[in-house]
Amino acid sequence: MKVMNAIRRHAEENFIVLSLILLIIFFSWSSDNFFSVVTLKTILNQLPALTVVTVGMTLVLIVAGIDLSVGSVLSLSATVIGVLVVGWQIPLPLACLAGILAGLACGAANGALVAFFRLPAFIVTLGMLEMARGLAYIVNNSQTVYIGSSIQAIALPLPGVGVSLALLIAIGVVAAGHFMMTRTVFGRHLTAIGSNEQAARMSGIDARPHRLFVLALSGALAGLGGVFNAAYLGSADPNAGIGLELSAIAAAVIGGTSLMGGRGSVLGAFVGVLIISILQSGLAQIGVSEPSKRLITGAVIISAVLLDRWRQKHPQ
Amino acid sequence: MKDLRLSIRNLNKSYNVPVLKNVNLSIGRGEIHAIVGENGAGKSTLINVLTGLTPRDSGSIFLDGESYEPNCAGDGFAAGVSFTSQELSIVESLTVAENIFLRQLPRRYGIVDKSALHASARALLDRVGLDYVATDSRAESLSLADRQLLEFAKAINAECRLLLLDEPTAALTQQQADRVHAVIREIATQRVSVIYISHRLDDVLDVSDTVTVLRDGAVISTTEADSSSAADLVSLMTGGGVIRPSDLAATDAASRPALVVENICTANLPNSVNLTCHESEIVGIAGLAGSGKSELLRAMFRLDGLHSGRVIRHIKSETIQIRSARHAVRNGIGFLGENRQTMGIFPGQAVLTNMMLPDILRSAACTVDATAEKTVAGQLGERLAIRCNSLQQDIRELSGGNQQKVLIARWLNAGSAVLLLDEPTRGVDVGTKQAIYELLFELRSNGNAIVIASSELDELMTVCDRILVLSNRHLVAEFNRGHWSEEQILSASFSAYTDNTTREMSQSEGVR
Repeated sequence: MKVMNAIRRHAEENFIVLSLILLIIFFSWSSDNFFSVVTLKTILNQLPALTVVTVGMTLVLIVAGIDLSVGSVLSLSATVIGVLVVGWQIPLPLACLAGILAGLACGAANGALVAFFRLPAFIVTLGMLEMARGLAYIVNNSQTVYIGSSIQAIALPLPGVGVSLALLIAIGVVAAGHFMMTRTVFGRHLTAIGSNEQAARMSGIDARPHRLFVLALSGALAGLGGVFNAAYLGSADPNAGIGLELSAIAAAVIGGTSLMGGRGSVLGAFVGVLIISILQSGLAQIGVSEPSKRLITGAVIISAVLLDRWRQKHPQ
Repeated sequence: MKDLRLSIRNLNKSYNVPVLKNVNLSIGRGEIHAIVGENGAGKSTLINVLTGLTPRDSGSIFLDGESYEPNCAGDGFAAGVSFTSQELSIVESLTVAENIFLRQLPRRYGIVDKSALHASARALLDRVGLDYVATDSRAESLSLADRQLLEFAKAINAECRLLLLDEPTAALTQQQADRVHAVIREIATQRVSVIYISHRLDDVLDVSDTVTVLRDGAVISTTEADSSSAADLVSLMTGGGVIRPSDLAATDAASRPALVVENICTANLPNSVNLTCHESEIVGIAGLAGSGKSELLRAMFRLDGLHSGRVIRHIKSETIQIRSARHAVRNGIGFLGENRQTMGIFPGQAVLTNMMLPDILRSAACTVDATAEKTVAGQLGERLAIRCNSLQQDIRELSGGNQQKVLIARWLNAGSAVLLLDEPTRGVDVGTKQAIYELLFELRSNGNAIVIASSELDELMTVCDRILVLSNRHLVAEFNRGHWSEEQILSASFSAYTDNTTREMSQSEGVR
């Protein structure tokens, strides 16, 4: 009985991990060089930015919120770094910190408006999506600024380790997020707020600081995503991250997070990120055209949610 | 012998455990048939099977001699089976009239026929005693009691052969319940059969022709209402004698104050209220629906903003002014809201999570101690006899009474010394009620201070040391144990209403 319960409880994770494995098997079977260095490199390069943004998004979704501004905030962070390093000759670590802080500021503004002025998160972050994108263009004068090899080092494999610093940080963020949601009192409070805010209030939990924190964190993680994006490109692109919010929501949902709040897994969301990335590169690898790629990706997102629904209704 | 309207043969239904076991039931035309039983006895499941919301596992159902196999709520409705559920199904943003006719809005040329809609709605509202409610007012402006009556108007609208009523009077005052009963009797004279589920046994005996007792999913007995007493039913339901809560000695007069309310006023409580609850004392708040009972408790827990006054918690020699609900919880105050679904449970979360919420057991500063949690939750589950498959079960799968026990366990776990309970036994069966009363006495003897708001006078007179009466949002009277009678409390409840203000009160009930 105990074992059965444990299996059932982890079924959520098991299920999507199984999907991921099936996906990998499919692509290695249909494409001879799927396991090539080039493919792996592409996947691993693009992974860190989407991963950290998705972790932030998952936490926001768990408290029944949404953050549509992450893509724009990511590009704002990248452009801030570009201007500071190239224009102002600021040392790279400080510039990266400034980029993350710019993201934190956007997120904190979102959070304050949602938590303390009781505005809907959808509207506030939609407004921020426009504002941050506009700011990114202003900061960079609508140009892509070339930063150079100093920042690219973050995205290159570390000697002796084999993976990049960016990927290590991203995995650290996933681990921290998962620990927070599963083991801490704060994580328990987030779930409670997302599940029934009124009942949470009557248990003495004030939702406002929690909402503020989660949206601010999502902004800061989008800022960190900006660092990774600039590192991957070697330049600060004000057009970076367009539509990223949708990929992040899709990854979170594939990983079992509910848009209604109260249910979600950071680890699951990470597997969702892997599924989306592998699907993208794998389809490109077997020669699927860009329009068909989008068609298939969309269908996979919907099927994942359908399957999840079906599995919940029919446990075992 | 009446003609048979409904006949159920060997009905079985199980989720993970059997919920209905070989149920046989026959109901004649125009018969009012009550079904009573503890929470989790299977009453609501039986209703859901009859309406088609829940598929049955085996067995057959005949309606007027024809086989009746509902697969969805629409099937039941089409066959003339309509129901009111325990949890209200009112769409708050629609008008009262639109709510009543939601299934079949009268229309002409595809457009809603407003005049026909309002005329028919008016007639139905008058029939259930909601004559003071305008048909075009929004459902959200109605009080809980009025919403229940609206639900009722919605059910009797259909051309129905069988009317299923699940706790239609749980939220109503005695006067409103009497009104509903009169309507039920009138409907029955038109050869409509009624299945009536209620925990108010006196009501059951008063209104019904026949009473069936369910226990653990099986029919225990079916008897004529005239030849049964409430005591008989209770012993059949519980399968044994009932423990009457013993009258403990009155509280020690010298006991110290635990919570002091000084001159508080809120938007919904315009007249300032003072009250003190001492350690080892149970204070009751009595009053009619809309008299301000819930509002007072909410203000004490600092859920609503105070216009004036203070709420002060005394802990030993310290006095702390309570600033917010969070601050209240931190200083040992617990609160149970009147609506379990919206104010209490965390749907979709495990029983364990629900139970542990306000005071999560910590292993370090901010991490959850999963092992200790399991142990404590298991002990609380045993102490309150909570029926669930496992602590990981979704709380939505539990019956109402068991959900309520989980919510009470929440504050026991938090070790709250002051408990503010709003209708703690609403929709809870007799056995659970007794268990809750016993628990309250135990907590009192441990020094806890308890404030209970209840619309059941019997309940307050059983458990309280002192009863305060609210009338029309004024605190009008205070009675000590041994110095009260039902008449005195009732007349105090009515005292701040004159004939002129009665209507005003009914309307202002909506302003919550």
